[in-house]
Amino acid sequence: MNIFVLVKASLDVNLVRGDAEGNLLKDAIPLAISEYDRNAVYEAVRIKNEVGGKVIVVSALTWGPIQKRMRDFENVIREALALGGDEAHVIVDEKLVEAGPKATSLALSKLIEKLGGADLIICGEASMDMMASQVANYLAHSLGVNSVTYVRELSLDGNTIKCKRDLENYVEIVKTGLPVVVSVTGEINKPRLPTLLQIRRAFAKPLQKYSLADVGLDILPSYSANKYELVKVSRKNIIIEGASMEEIANKLVDKLIEEGVLER
Amino acid sequence: MKGLVIGLSGSELREGLSVLETLSNVTGSNVEKYAVLVSSNPEKVKGFHKLYLIKSGSIYTSFQSVLKIVSEVAPEAIVAVNMKDCVDLMSRVAASTDRYMVTEVALITRNGDDVYLARPILGGRALAYYKFTKGIVFTVAKGKFQPIEGDEEPEVIEIAPEADGYEVLGVEEKKRGAVDIESADIVVGVGRGFKAKEDLAMASELAQILGGEVGCSRPIAADFGWLDEDRWIGISGKKIRPKLYLPIGISGAPQHIMAANDSKIIVAVNKDKNAPIFNYSDYGVVADLYQFIPALIKVLKERLKK
Ligand SMILES: Cc1cc2nc3c(=O)[nH]c(=O)nc-3n(C[C@H](O)[C@H](O)[C@H](O)COP(=O)(O)OP(=O)(O)OC[C@H]3O[C@@H](n4cnc5c(N)ncnc54)[C@H](O)[C@@H]3O)c2cc1C
Ligand SMILES: Nc1ncnc2c1ncn2[C@@H]1O[C@H](COP(=O)(O)O)[C@@H](O)[C@H]1O
Repeated sequence: MNIFVLVKASLDVNLVRGDAEGNLLKDAIPLAISEYDRNAVYEAVRIKNEVGGKVIVVSALTWGPIQKRMRDFENVIREALALGGDEAHVIVDEKLVEAGPKATSLALSKLIEKLGGADLIICGEASMDMMASQVANYLAHSLGVNSVTYVRELSLDGNTIKCKRDLENYVEIVKTGLPVVVSVTGEINKPRLPTLLQIRRAFAKPLQKYSLADVGLDILPSYSANKYELVKVSRKNIIIEGASMEEIANKLVDKLIEEGVLER
Repeated sequence: MKGLVIGLSGSELREGLSVLETLSNVTGSNVEKYAVLVSSNPEKVKGFHKLYLIKSGSIYTSFQSVLKIVSEVAPEAIVAVNMKDCVDLMSRVAASTDRYMVTEVALITRNGDDVYLARPILGGRALAYYKFTKGIVFTVAKGKFQPIEGDEEPEVIEIAPEADGYEVLGVEEKKRGAVDIESADIVVGVGRGFKAKEDLAMASELAQILGGEVGCSRPIAADFGWLDEDRWIGISGKKIRPKLYLPIGISGAPQHIMAANDSKIIVAVNKDKNAPIFNYSDYGVVADLYQFIPALIKVLKERLKK
């Protein structure tokens, strides 16, 4: 069985850059693999080891400027391959930059169809940077297949899949038939860091690049943010020092009483 | 303009009603209010022109009915509270009806002639503004819009649940304590700086002296399972707004700390003076928690009993 995994090269939330005026400097933020997509790849590999087949990584570059991003983008895809993907197919096209989850999903659905279609497609519950949680259902709709979201445990049985959906207050168990798109949560598995050997091997695996025209798309449904703004956090940033732990503790307690958050 | 609220409980509908009210005010055009309630225990909620009740415990056995209602009402805006099931349902609606969606809106605001929906991105480090367009589907961050009651007696229409291709086999309860850290006044946060589960006793003792609750970073709940998930603070966990938040041995990843930014005072304890958590704190103590926390407990015991 061919298992497709969606892997996004996200803006790295740990390296957010802004200027003094509170503008977000998007272009200066490096790309990193979207956290839950690691879980998605890992789950795909687990299933492949059970039922056989191939793990095919697909991705669309959605942050510009494209030329400047290519190295980071390739590193993200190589990381997915090091985690166990067998081959990767990616779409790089100016028109996809910040076009939004609907455009991304449509493009990826065309790519997946071009590659022969899929029985099982796994993505993350939310991308690290945009956290839209929309791609799974859009993609399923474009492909005309089922979808199950927020899955923390899944098992395949022939042509059916049983999923435990991790909701806020309880877990819901849903069964459906293949083909299916599944979005997974961080609890589904614990990906290990790839070994050096896995990383080296990843460089020998196929990575094929496409334009939108290559997958038969011309116009995209595009909707994206008009403006981004850095969130200002204004805290006092006072480090309390002292000669001993007790002294520091006492000074801290003084401050907390002064602030009115502790009562004497 | 017609606005449709989709909810899985009466309280979600009341929060949605508040969103439609805000939308009326910000856009300056009257919003005619419709609602869909998907619930195995449907209740009547006032304030809507029409209320559709779908008696079902799962969106996976009812979303086709929701789609039918959406095409019947043909609303210019569809809103829901940002619960996972609602996000799923709304993205199904957006996919099937050719609408665009904005997830977890925190603010509806006007700039000149345009109305914008703003939402946190990048783990909460930035806000993205999306132009409000006719037909938009969006979820709102839980708790950002105060639930309201309306007067209008709705016309109630019952619709049978319908969906193809899915079977719900059941639900499992989640392991949980009886804590509600979202409304706690004081929260002690524990992170990976704690080396063993037993060491969390220190944090519990501190929380107890302060009259607060223990919360944690994601690895403590998700990876180690040392605490139940209802104590997990962050964008994928609980959002807290205490008077005092005390993150101990927590590095300050945006996905964690942004869910605590509404705290009045934040005091961080971390042995690494360069830990990002200090940028998000009012007061910081650079120390080994294993030395500082016992000292703090001792001092608090002495001083608070007076
Ligand atoms: C999509 C996504 C969603 C996420 N959602 C959440 C979420 O909801 N909540 C969440 O918490 N995280 C979330 N995370 C994870 C987040 O990115 C961080 O990995 C996590 O918050 C780190 O937890 P931590 O601070 O406990 O551990 P670490 O980052 O490992 O930090 C441990 C800290 O303890 C300090 N320390 C170590 N020993 C001591 C000592 N003896 N005394 C004092 N200090 C010590 C260290 O200096 C370090 O700063 C999410 C990540 C992603 C990608
Ligand atoms: N540009 C992209 N390329 C590949 N996969 C993506 C892309 N955008 C989103 N995804 C997948 O969809 C999931 C949810 O993304 P989102 O809907 O943006 O929150 C991610 O975890 C990825 O698995």
